Amino acid sequence: MPVVDIDPDELRTLTGHTEKSDDELKDDLFGLGIEYEGETDDGEFKLEFEADRLDRLSVEGIARSLRYHYGDTRGVYVPDTNSAEWTINVEDVPDERPCVTGAVVRGVDLDEDALDSLIQLQEKLHATMGRKRAKGAIGIHDLAMLKGESISEEDGPAGRSITYTGIEPDGDTFVPLDDDAERTPAEVLTEHPTGEQYADLLENYDRYPAIYDDIGMFSFPPVINGRRTEVSTDSRELFVELTGTDQWTIDRMCAIICYALDARGATVEDVNVEYADTELVRPDFEVQTKQVPHERVETLLGIDLEPDEVVDLAERAGLDAEPEGGDELTYEVEIPPYRVDVLHPVDVVDDIGRAYGFNNLVPRYPDVGTIGGRTETSRLEAAARETLVGLGFEDLLNFNMTNEVDNFERMRIAPDTGQSPDGSGDTAVGAAEPATIDEPYSEDFTILRTWALPSLVSVLENNTHRSYPQDLAEIGFAAHVDDATETGVAERRTVAAVLARHDASYEDAKARLAALCEEFHVDLETPATEHPSFIDGRAASVVIDGEDVGVIGEVHPAVVVDHDVEVPVAGFEFALDALR
Amino acid sequence: MKLPPQQVAVLEAASADEPRRIADLAAAIERPPETVTGAAFELEDAGLVDVIEETEEEVELTEEGREYAEAGLPEVRLYEAALDAGADDEPVSMGEVIGASGLENPQVDIALSNYARKGYGSIDSGDLSADPDADPSEDAEAVALETLAEGGTVEDDDALDQLARRDLVAVRERTVRSVLLTEAGVTELMAGVEAAEEVGQLTPDMLASGEWRDAEFADYNVEADAGEYTPGKTHVLRQASERVKEVLVGMGFQEMEGPHVDADFYINDCLFMPQDHPARNHWDRFALEQPEKIDELPEDLVERVERAHREGVGPDGDGYHSPWDEDFARALALRGHTTSLTARYLSGVAGEDVEAPARYFSVEKAYRNDTLDATHLLEFFQIEGWVMAEDLSVRDLMGTFQEFYSQFGITDIEFKPTYNPYTEPSFELFGRHPETGELIEIGNSGIFRPEMLEPLGVEADVMAWGLALERLLMLVTGFEDIRDVHGTLCDLDFLRDAEVVY
Repeated sequence: MPVVDIDPDELRTLTGHTEKSDDELKDDLFGLGIEYEGETDDGEFKLEFEADRLDRLSVEGIARSLRYHYGDTRGVYVPDTNSAEWTINVEDVPDERPCVTGAVVRGVDLDEDALDSLIQLQEKLHATMGRKRAKGAIGIHDLAMLKGESISEEDGPAGRSITYTGIEPDGDTFVPLDDDAERTPAEVLTEHPTGEQYADLLENYDRYPAIYDDIGMFSFPPVINGRRTEVSTDSRELFVELTGTDQWTIDRMCAIICYALDARGATVEDVNVEYADTELVRPDFEVQTKQVPHERVETLLGIDLEPDEVVDLAERAGLDAEPEGGDELTYEVEIPPYRVDVLHPVDVVDDIGRAYGFNNLVPRYPDVGTIGGRTETSRLEAAARETLVGLGFEDLLNFNMTNEVDNFERMRIAPDTGQSPDGSGDTAVGAAEPATIDEPYSEDFTILRTWALPSLVSVLENNTHRSYPQDLAEIGFAAHVDDATETGVAERRTVAAVLARHDASYEDAKARLAALCEEFHVDLETPATEHPSFIDGRAASVVIDGEDVGVIGEVHPAVVVDHDVEVPVAGFEFALDALR
Repeated sequence: MKLPPQQVAVLEAASADEPRRIADLAAAIERPPETVTGAAFELEDAGLVDVIEETEEEVELTEEGREYAEAGLPEVRLYEAALDAGADDEPVSMGEVIGASGLENPQVDIALSNYARKGYGSIDSGDLSADPDADPSEDAEAVALETLAEGGTVEDDDALDQLARRDLVAVRERTVRSVLLTEAGVTELMAGVEAAEEVGQLTPDMLASGEWRDAEFADYNVEADAGEYTPGKTHVLRQASERVKEVLVGMGFQEMEGPHVDADFYINDCLFMPQDHPARNHWDRFALEQPEKIDELPEDLVERVERAHREGVGPDGDGYHSPWDEDFARALALRGHTTSLTARYLSGVAGEDVEAPARYFSVEKAYRNDTLDATHLLEFFQIEGWVMAEDLSVRDLMGTFQEFYSQFGITDIEFKPTYNPYTEPSFELFGRHPETGELIEIGNSGIFRPEMLEPLGVEADVMAWGLALERLLMLVTGFEDIRDVHGTLCDLDFLRDAEVVY
């Protein structure tokens, strides 16, 4: 969830509520779903909120929400814009980053706080909507440092332009921010710290994005601006440009920036964006509308409301609602351009619910009758577990993720082949091909376990200081690769048990397995087999109702010793389904 | 009559004329004094003997007392040194005598303070004289000390008092019991008393032969600790899981099941999670390398889901303005939540057509690449539940959760509006810890968005919630570190000691 640092004094100034104490502000913010997470070293509030309301990523946005919350402002507000003087020409841009938008903002009064807030807003928008600049990146420039190419009067009123285009990686040079050398874009990616940070974004680009004015290249989106147009507290006029992969996304980001500057008294001026085939006037402050049925508001909130109540609640949420229609009352709801989270009428209902106060709703138990029950597998598993516990086993719970070493090597088997490392043995239980995890984070968890016995032996290994006997069992998940299944992974419930005690023997294990089978009225046979995890001549297949479903035996001393266990271990494992 | 052997022995050794002490009796019948005491009291209960209790003083030498018994009282040693120095003729310098006596402080002070008192001589301005008539062998205190050291009894009360005052002896009181035959006891003895056989272990033979009728069962120390026993035990998380399942089944919920390894399509896309959502990046999830992708996805379902992502649903719905690629949706991963099961059931892929009204749940594992700590592991159990009905409201959601959590003693649930890509409205659920009273998050809930339900073919409303079983268990039982119970690093002792969940 995003966290922003907000100066409480700025918040008081921008809301016009200078009388509010810090604690009152915190309570009011909590009412908006914005949580106070502590203070910065400079005494700013660290505020955390949900990722849907990206219009609240700055002090200006939060102040706006508070003013609606206080009832100081109602309904939709759209700033007036002056007509365009500047144009962004779009020419031969890289295919990977086709979109651009922008705005001119005049009459800006940036003190240190305001500048910090603007930079923070830019960074937070990059991190969220901009998907770390991949989807949208913002560049803010000092307009006074731009020299626009003159546009002939034939195309309309006199004006100036900049150009968004694509160039060869070493096709031009500029001086990036925080630098004093001319560099090509390719050099920036390898020689400049910010360039190194964002180099991945351009990995698949043949040509790199670049923005030019009459003097030359001044920005290398989405990586870094040029030093020439750097914004400072002296800047009075700004050029905001955004490039990205999706026009809607960068237009919303642009609107959020413009609203923030408007809140500080600046004037927004349109910019023409000239694509090869179309021309846009930006920023896009168009108000969206949704048709919201009155009935849906009532059913979703579970309360009866008068139409004027709904309109009032909508306005308090910063929306406008106009009742329409006779029999089926519907509201045409207007949504301001900085809202990026309203996709469907239910989002409007949620806003109305928040304005009403969800905690004012009285809970009720839904009067709907249904029959409860468990799956057969779940019941079988519970019954088998209860039986194992009755046989004296301590029921365990291990991870389904493990690694090749524990699952195979230390049990003296190898995946798929069933061969032990020394080449002896037939196909072994547990030796199926494992499902593997892509780029695992830890060498402990690289595969899904193909059987559960190794997990139990590991528990023995980690508990040699605990008292014996240690008779452990687990009914759990095991899986292996199997093309015949829907997902390509065959998943099953497996029953595994070990007896670790000074006199553990095959007979002990068999007696318990036999008792378990007897409880489920299934027929058990144990024909001799060979399995590298067990002692030769003391291992058998578990054959239940004629089907080979597992293995039982005395665990091989090499396995026991390798796990630092100092008592003999006998054990078995078989598929739970065999007990059905 | 028949009595236990130890009682017979005591009865026969006791006298009707003269009380016999327990210690004497124990020596006479060669049994431990505590056995004799026990037998005596039982005989007294039967009216065959009287047990007489007397209080006796026991005098014992202290450590200092034992030292003087061996080396002599300090004043005696001083006197003897004085005689050797000729102080019986004329006074000798005190320092010389003390040096010769070998006494050291604090014994010097003790010697000097008792020297004159007991008439061994006098001390005058640093000179010491000795009374030639004094006789250390008649020193009552020395005699008493010697007698006590030899184990004798001292009748001289003055001397004892003096020794006690000097902390050379300790006087303790103790109860001494003696046994005296009663008339009834004498009568029974005359009639003949037999020892009954005492039984340790009751055997099948004794039961079969009827021998148990005449047997006398030896008393056990029933308060003593017995040997340790490690019972078979259901894992504490499994117990908690059973408890939750029982509650949900009782509330009318049907259980779901389905794959742990699943296509991202069911884990995320069907839940209207945009493909460029930060939670879908590599680092939060466990993508599979082998196998890498699911072969088949239902074509029409894929088409509807893709349309919802791109265009939204409804006449004025909006999509995500994010890329959507079927190949991306085919990628297999360990499910990050069991809501993938919900997607399968709602879409009918799980095999049954679900129609309103319906309630479904699962308590199963989900996988998340989280930072490992006391409350987070890479694998956890998610409680997932949902209710499908016509026109469900936020009030129904609140009522359902209040009911569920109250089953675990958690009341006063608070609902904090929140954001979740696939529910709207959405609420975080907070509850008070039953012990600490702290407000903590206990689940996430909401009403599924139309963009999720419509492509899955669901026309009714569906509300859902999820929560980690581990969190609920911690709340209910107060246990603190999940690493002790789940996984191969678990501590068997912790599991063995864990209180049962019911």
